[in-house]
Amino acid sequence: MADTLTLLALFAEIDPSVSAIDKLHEMGITDEKLNVISGIPLNHDVLGRPNLRTFIPRLAMGGAMIGLVAALFLIFGIPGLYPLTVGGQPVFPFPPFLIVGFELTMLGLMGMAFLGLLLAGRLPSYEPKVYVPEISDGMIALVFSCPVEQQAQFEDALLSMGAEQVQPVEASTL
Amino acid sequence: MDTTAEPIALPGASAREPHDQREHLMFDPRPRGEMNAMVMESMHKTSKKFWGVVIFLVLTVLFALLGAWAYMIAEGMGVTGLTRPEYWGIFIVDMVFWIGISHAGTFISALLRVMKYEIRRPFTRAAELMTTFGLIQAAICIFLHLGRVWLGYWLVPYPNGRAIWPNFHSPLMWDFMAITTYVIASTMYLFMPLIPDLAMARDRSTGWRKSLYRYLSLGFRGTEPEWKHLKTAMNIFAFAIIPVMFSVHTVVSWDFAMSTRPGWNSTIFGPYFVIGALHSGIAAVMIVIFMIRSTMKNMKYFIRPEHFEFLGKLSLIVSMTWAYFFFNDYLVPWYGGNKFEKLLLDFHSNGPFAYVWVTMLICNIVIPWLILWNKKWRSTPWVMLLVGIVINVGMWIERFIIIPVSLNITRMPFTWRVYKPSIEIPLTIGTFALFMLLYMLASRLIPLVPVWEVQEGQSAHILRKVGKAVIPTVSNVD
Repeated sequence: MADTLTLLALFAEIDPSVSAIDKLHEMGITDEKLNVISGIPLNHDVLGRPNLRTFIPRLAMGGAMIGLVAALFLIFGIPGLYPLTVGGQPVFPFPPFLIVGFELTMLGLMGMAFLGLLLAGRLPSYEPKVYVPEISDGMIALVFSCPVEQQAQFEDALLSMGAEQVQPVEASTL
Repeated sequence: MDTTAEPIALPGASAREPHDQREHLMFDPRPRGEMNAMVMESMHKTSKKFWGVVIFLVLTVLFALLGAWAYMIAEGMGVTGLTRPEYWGIFIVDMVFWIGISHAGTFISALLRVMKYEIRRPFTRAAELMTTFGLIQAAICIFLHLGRVWLGYWLVPYPNGRAIWPNFHSPLMWDFMAITTYVIASTMYLFMPLIPDLAMARDRSTGWRKSLYRYLSLGFRGTEPEWKHLKTAMNIFAFAIIPVMFSVHTVVSWDFAMSTRPGWNSTIFGPYFVIGALHSGIAAVMIVIFMIRSTMKNMKYFIRPEHFEFLGKLSLIVSMTWAYFFFNDYLVPWYGGNKFEKLLLDFHSNGPFAYVWVTMLICNIVIPWLILWNKKWRSTPWVMLLVGIVINVGMWIERFIIIPVSLNITRMPFTWRVYKPSIEIPLTIGTFALFMLLYMLASRLIPLVPVWEVQEGQSAHILRKVGKAVIPTVSNVD
């Protein structure tokens, strides 16, 4: 038998769930060991939780650079490899570079932002996870692990803070 | 989580005020579970009439689009009305029209998101979907125009057997780059905010739908990191896709403006095309949300007169701006006195297509200005449907005048003729049918209302009492 179990507490409102987070902190559950799952995005300020860092903007900037380099190759590299002389026009035109450069830079930026979302969010991920469908019905779930012998203590504390339901959960296929 | 934006009880205040606020979606919250159920029901409940329309559209696509296209491929481009001097006809008109339609999705969704216009929330998805499906039609029109469509890959920048690379000096190549960027970006932009709604649909579905939504929702649960990354990526997209949107129609306009042809060689064509795209696109959103509201179950809760009213105001402003650009584009060549420019302007307003030219002005300026100044009419969905249709007819005509009609008059008078489209007509009908078909099928599979965004908005709206007035207040939830 495992020494710890995973508890999931469901709250209907934001305020009681925030109070419950504070209570869990008092009971020794740190922010790192606590997951908040919700049907709408809740700002870290609202929850009183640390602001999560994300590398998506940096990845997007990297994508923009890749796009720019690709545009440089298309505009200056290709005419270098295969010179195309069009009456009176330079072989290496600068104004068209601005157009192709802009489009590919933006494509790289957005493409990498999208890729960043998948990488940072570890999506797609189809393995079993802790989840209950009530979350997408607007409930806020606090998920954390606690020692088995303290289960009743945590359940009582969370119910007294306004939890609609507190239950041990296991990861399952979504 | 129930949102709590109940009207404030106001001792001594007018009883009418709280009631009025309830007319706004953001001040009329319902439990999230109920909103989910409403959206799911709208996707699942289909009538026989719905499938009757679907079958009709499928047949139209089969015969008018695929059948006519196959015939054109077999017989060659000679079956079209294209000949000297009109080498660009209705296929290009349709392409420009559909790209214009696609602009509204980005404009409504991205620009209003960046500017924090809360009213956007229930219809961003409908507009974004329009962008993606509009771009599909635009791409089809490009391939229709290619003629030998199987050689379309020559546009892709890689060396072919003869070591000829695409010419990046050419505006057509810029067009390819811009449209490709926009198609990819707008599809990703459609998908990202859809993920939480697909997860919601996954939680409420069984059978093949469950499998489909489970796959498409990517395993999203709504954890803090997932929301954080999603919001960050959406913000990047919202800012980045706006200049791309402007660039796409500007580049489309350069297909024309980079030539030295009278009527096309204009420095104002870029912004003129962009504003024209917004004019037709916003009008198309009016049509689409009217259809969603009137044909899909429960949608009257989400799509309300206030949304038509907002789009009507936007449309009026855009109509005035379009009129300004049109006048600018007309006045300068007229004043310049170039012989061929004046001939062309005279051909537009007094030639065989004069009635079309006048219809364009009536549809794009007169009717919108006569109707959209009135709040009551702006708030009446069926009136806005009619205005939307009229504006789109006007904007299609505008492109028709710019492209084939302007090509009738060249610097070589012995080539002058009047363009008479033939197989282009069924093919145009086919693209419209395909657009409607894709939209109808998508409405059965994709939650057309972003429920999580609606709930997020409702949770941020409260009424507060200032003196004797009740003031709607919105907090910044981003």
